[in-house]
Amino acid sequence: MSIQVQDLNKSFRVHIRQEGWTEALRSLFKREYQTVHAVKDVSFSINTGEIVGFLGPNGAGKTTTIKMLAGLLHPTSGRIEVNGFKPQEQKNEYKKMMSLVMGQKSQLIWDIPPMETFLVNKSVYEIDEKVFRQTLDELVELLELSPLLGKPVRNLSLGQRMKCELAASLLHRPSILFLDEPTIGLDVDTQEKVRQFIAKYNREHKTTILLTSHYMGDVTALCERVLIINHGKLLYDGELQVLTERLTPYKLLEVRLPSGSHGRWESFGDVVSFEDGKLTLRVARDRVPTISSELLANFEINDLNIQDPPMEEVITLAFQEESHDY
Amino acid sequence: MITKYRAILRMKYVEMFSYQLSTMVWMFGTMIQPLITMMVWMNIYPDQGDSFILYFISLIMVERLTSAWDVWEMDRQIREGTFSYQIVRPFHPIHWAIAENIVYKGLFLVILVPSWIILSIFIPSLQLHLSFSQWGLFIAALLLGAIIRFAFSFMFGILGFWMTKVTAVYATFETVSLFISGRIAPFSLLPPLVKKISTFLPYRYMIGFPLEILTETADRQTLLVGFIGSSIWTVLLIVAIVWLWKAGLKKNQAVGG
Amino acid sequence: MRRYWRIFKEFFRTCLVEELEYRSEFIGNLFSSLFGIIVSILMVQIFFYQTDQLGGWAFPDVLILLGIFNTLQGLVDFALRPNMPRLLLHIRMGTLDYVLTKPVDSMFFVSLRHLVFWRLIDVLLGIGLIIYGLVQKHFIPSLLDVGFFLISIIAALLIIYSLWMLLMTTAFWVIRMDDLSFLFSSFFETTRFPITMYKGWLRLALTYVLPAAFLTFTPASSLIGKWNGGTTVASLVVAVVFFWLARRFWKFALANYTSASS
Repeated sequence: MSIQVQDLNKSFRVHIRQEGWTEALRSLFKREYQTVHAVKDVSFSINTGEIVGFLGPNGAGKTTTIKMLAGLLHPTSGRIEVNGFKPQEQKNEYKKMMSLVMGQKSQLIWDIPPMETFLVNKSVYEIDEKVFRQTLDELVELLELSPLLGKPVRNLSLGQRMKCELAASLLHRPSILFLDEPTIGLDVDTQEKVRQFIAKYNREHKTTILLTSHYMGDVTALCERVLIINHGKLLYDGELQVLTERLTPYKLLEVRLPSGSHGRWESFGDVVSFEDGKLTLRVARDRVPTISSELLANFEINDLNIQDPPMEEVITLAFQEESHDY
Repeated sequence: MITKYRAILRMKYVEMFSYQLSTMVWMFGTMIQPLITMMVWMNIYPDQGDSFILYFISLIMVERLTSAWDVWEMDRQIREGTFSYQIVRPFHPIHWAIAENIVYKGLFLVILVPSWIILSIFIPSLQLHLSFSQWGLFIAALLLGAIIRFAFSFMFGILGFWMTKVTAVYATFETVSLFISGRIAPFSLLPPLVKKISTFLPYRYMIGFPLEILTETADRQTLLVGFIGSSIWTVLLIVAIVWLWKAGLKKNQAVGG
Repeated sequence: MRRYWRIFKEFFRTCLVEELEYRSEFIGNLFSSLFGIIVSILMVQIFFYQTDQLGGWAFPDVLILLGIFNTLQGLVDFALRPNMPRLLLHIRMGTLDYVLTKPVDSMFFVSLRHLVFWRLIDVLLGIGLIIYGLVQKHFIPSLLDVGFFLISIIAALLIIYSLWMLLMTTAFWVIRMDDLSFLFSSFFETTRFPITMYKGWLRLALTYVLPAAFLTFTPASSLIGKWNGGTTVASLVVAVVFFWLARRFWKFALANYTSASS
């Protein structure tokens, strides 16, 4: 069971807005269009139980791809097969097997408690009573939902709402979960909780999860494998760790020195910053052990920390690359 | 299917309670225009006061029991992007709309029928003396009228896949209805040209026709034309919705929400 | 006072620029306004198909009243209606505090910040209808007529503003905006026809409780030469009273809000 995507393409005809009075009048009768290629020749496959992250700047084509996988959009060309189904055929059996959560867009009915939406979903997805109770109890426990179930959704905070959204989307035990920017707008604490929940749920139920996000934290916490998309093209498909090593073949050394220390730091590596006794050096990966021992030998060091470069740096570099074979 | 409807009806029923104030304001607000119109007519023909009272109170009843506002709901959902959730569920969105209509019409029934009965104690012209068969015919016509009006509302909602200002177009549609479905003037008082075109347009069947049965102003020919017209429009609209929905979904899948 | 005129001009300019961004919408709106007024006139014609006077008023007179109605409604839609949802949003999001810290009177700002320009088409069409009615009537209002008309129109505008503000202020307690706007529209509908059409207690209510009579009927009467000094003065008095009420209610609501807001 898996997701197979082959040579996927999606183009939109977008109506160009005109300025000026005569153009506006003309546009009432004849409109000018421009073609936007949102997704270009994208191919990948995902196995059951994987959590895969889609990364890309705004307008890269991530959401368009997810919508095609969910069956909401028809590809312009190419093949998609999810667990043997073609999503665009919109078969009910397919819908019962998958679930979609869009950050900031709520499926919960606004003025009534989330429990009501759960009950509707139970009926619509034809979930057996006993199974429903079991699933609900599990989700309530994992997401700490009990105090929230009776409150109208409009009275919940964004974080609380998101947790209920996740629960609503998992009641029918889908084998595939599409998450489109699920942690957007959430506070750091809730983001953490949501990530932990997704990771745990995936471990226990082997649900295949596709996640798009802006937040590096989401990706580093959850995804071993990332697909990087920019300008509609798939730039990278592979392990995050491998990507990091290839694109940023260095690490950051953070050294805490007692005040008043000085030395020719540039000889050890690229100096990123040096202030208040904290020195940050960029050092080639293979040279990290050597440089570290040299520093330790020659200076009084309070603390030495070896860090991977910030993910933003990795990803920005990745976005700038054209397609490579990694 | 029935269990699904039961669940959705229950949910809409619960939801209705959180909109109490809003629902009441809308319900009473929509009564003002017919009442003002009634007073205008009573001013013009003071001696026919009783029949105008009966006509316009019946109008309020029939209008509320056929009212549909799905186009606004759907337009909002399409604009906000939450309509995707409706598509992704294994249950046709029309059922949600139907369920909401049933629940609110039920509410209106529960409020308006007792109110009518109480009013009729003070205003004798409101006391109805319809025979069993007449009530049957009325209910049948009312049902068809409600279906037609709902069908138009939902159809315009589907057009929201293509147009952004679909609510404005629907408002125009409803405005024409003011004239032809009997909301500005009883059918008999309309200029002859308007009378002619109303047989072919759906408006009369939405409100005017059930209204005429209720006020006992429908003769045999009117009944015949009325039921044939209503049935034809009902069938046409159902076919149109099925076809339009498929096309709309395709359009949505091409361009996306 | 001059300062507020200047600020209003600034609102005017900003909103105009915003709206001109969407020129093709403007054309759609033009048609919409035209359709609206044509429908109103047709409605009146359906009544006059059966009679030649409404509440003692002839067809051209009713058209003049309708013109005033359309103009006033256009002004409400131009300046007042667009601000209602924004106030609600401010209250809900807590951004009202930004407004309150500005060195401008909050009531003024909240009620007039956003203007919808194409609604001025309704105002123009309304004025056009008034002129058409006068032409049909072969009547040119005297200077005195116009004078009384202007006074009563100003009173009408003030009453409308006050009623609207009273309604808008309840937003602090009531959550759903749609209804509030609709309430006003429903009430305003009663001013579409001459008040002489209503009988008995309803006419009293529409004159003394909710001063609908002063909104379209009194100005229209003045313009067609049927002005009444006493009524015009009464309309001014009522206007001032309602404005005072609206202001007090606004201050009360604000005091409540600022002491309780989290």
